[in-house]
Amino acid sequence: MTTLPQPLLRLEHISLSFKGVHAISDIGFDVAPGEICALIGPNGAGKSSLLNVINGVYQPQQGRITFDGQVRRQMRPHDAARRGIARTFQNIALFKGMSVLDNVLTGRTLSTRSSWLEQALRIGRAPREEDAQRRRAEEVIEFLRIQPWRHALVGQLPYGLQKRVELARALVAEPRLLLLDEPMAGMNADEKLEMSQFILDSNREFATTVVLIEHDIGVVMGLSHHVVVLDYGKKIGDGSPDEVRRNPEVIRAYLGTKH
Amino acid sequence: MSVTQPLALNADATLVDWLRQQARLRGSAVALRHKQRGIWHETTWSQASAEVGRLAARLAQQGFGAGERLLVISHPRPEALLLSLAAQALDGSAILLDPLASGASLRHLLAHAAPAYVFAEGQVEVDLVLATGARRLIIYADARGLAHYRQPALLAYQQALADEGPSPQAPRSSQQHAAFVFYRGTDSGAIEQQQLQHRELLLAGKQLVLGERLTAREQALAARALPTDAQIRYLLAPWLLAGFCLNFPENLATRDIDRRELGPTLVAGTRETYGRLAELVFDRLPSPGSWLRRLIDYALQPQAPAWVRWLSVYPLRRPLSDVLGLRRARVPLLIGEPLPEPTRRLFVAIGVKVRAWPEGAHWQPSDVPSATPSVSPVGLLSTGVVQ
Repeated sequence: MTTLPQPLLRLEHISLSFKGVHAISDIGFDVAPGEICALIGPNGAGKSSLLNVINGVYQPQQGRITFDGQVRRQMRPHDAARRGIARTFQNIALFKGMSVLDNVLTGRTLSTRSSWLEQALRIGRAPREEDAQRRRAEEVIEFLRIQPWRHALVGQLPYGLQKRVELARALVAEPRLLLLDEPMAGMNADEKLEMSQFILDSNREFATTVVLIEHDIGVVMGLSHHVVVLDYGKKIGDGSPDEVRRNPEVIRAYLGTKH
Repeated sequence: MSVTQPLALNADATLVDWLRQQARLRGSAVALRHKQRGIWHETTWSQASAEVGRLAARLAQQGFGAGERLLVISHPRPEALLLSLAAQALDGSAILLDPLASGASLRHLLAHAAPAYVFAEGQVEVDLVLATGARRLIIYADARGLAHYRQPALLAYQQALADEGPSPQAPRSSQQHAAFVFYRGTDSGAIEQQQLQHRELLLAGKQLVLGERLTAREQALAARALPTDAQIRYLLAPWLLAGFCLNFPENLATRDIDRRELGPTLVAGTRETYGRLAELVFDRLPSPGSWLRRLIDYALQPQAPAWVRWLSVYPLRRPLSDVLGLRRARVPLLIGEPLPEPTRRLFVAIGVKVRAWPEGAHWQPSDVPSATPSVSPVGLLSTGVVQ
């Protein structure tokens, strides 16, 4: 008898409402370690809200979250980050006046152990730590092929590259779970292909589990191992891309219609 | 040791003999510098020589012997260079394919060359090699994406260095043997080849070293887009003869930034290379027709009065040569076709005196496939990618 691996993330009966308006109703699903899980659904289906619940930006009124074996009713964003959950945002949230390298290095903040005094005077643990942080940042910069823009100001980069820098900042934290909110929004077909490859590579090379929101169904089906479909805050489909593609409710609510 | 030491070694010395000689003469001096992950990594002459020895031991362990060929499909990088020298240390030769050629063309050439031993830079090249037949040994430098590959022939470069085998009984290399072989496809589908012997390379290298008065103080940049045969003629042989430092940029996309950081004194490029650099300058100038652009054009003219040219040195000429990373370029070489007039005028104006050297390539029809047949497929046919 084979035993299924323990899910890295389990959501059970999650409900979230804002002033009486239900954004998410009784949603639950598992994300296995090492998988790419896509959340799809029309605008307003509750996808981004769910991502915000997972990393603690929103606190659900009901339900519980199990991450890496630990059950929590609520989780604060700082806690989530410390426990290995990183994310990118639908609207790019980078420090536009800082260089690519400096932006990426901010992703290492939580792993800094030296005190501010050690850092200010570059004594004790600070120099060694700084070298290690830089090495890790450079690894990710190389991985995402953004070396030519290493010292460029982020605000001066095209949109597609800024998205890649945001992914770099998330990856440099060595997350166990990476939440990507529309990582390919506003990109052309070539940029989408490139970004998909980077997400796939991150998943393979760093064994990072990914939960992503994406509207381009073609991309989602090619990229994901597991798809969860939401509609009006409810889960209407959950399975492999093939299973979801064949699900009549999903076809009726989402795949069969144009948005 | 003088940096301008006379070029003296036996008349029948090979490229590897010169590497060993430089290791003896200036062992602790920097021979190679390669930018990786934002940092320039240095290899001294003695380290380079030792690395070639270890690689040769590994190749010999895998059955590589005299007359064998190692196919290299990679952009210029130290690993490709040192492995080529390791193959030559065993009296073999290195086949260099142009990594910028199309996939179809490379597949055609790979099928023709049928190499048993290969150095493939990364996953793209490894896939290409695996798709065209069974190989005895495929060494790769960039492990990205290859973690799930299960082919027994695959070996990481670092692993090839780490597991040192017994020192090979290296046959005496001959100057008459081909050090490098190049293949290229023609429009009609035929394949041409070019062979460079040790003697020929060293003679041409000596000519360049003496003609351009190259010394061990030079900093040369191996521009990644330069055709591989030109790299070998105009950078590799002079590097071994003069003992200067050969620098490899991080990748094709960062070469301009890396050149700017490095400020090389020896640069070799083609008409396209210099044309691209000229474009970088033109892009930074004010739009044509504007009064500022007219002023700049006037100041850059060779006929401009001496005082205008003098006044424009600091605000104009130096910043432009800095942008290109050519401020210290003492020996900017142009290989092959001459520069278009506007490009030539620009480089003269910013004080970069580009010198033309012939391409020197002699391509011949290649009817004879590689001397080394591909290995028996038995046991090696499982070349499909294991996901």
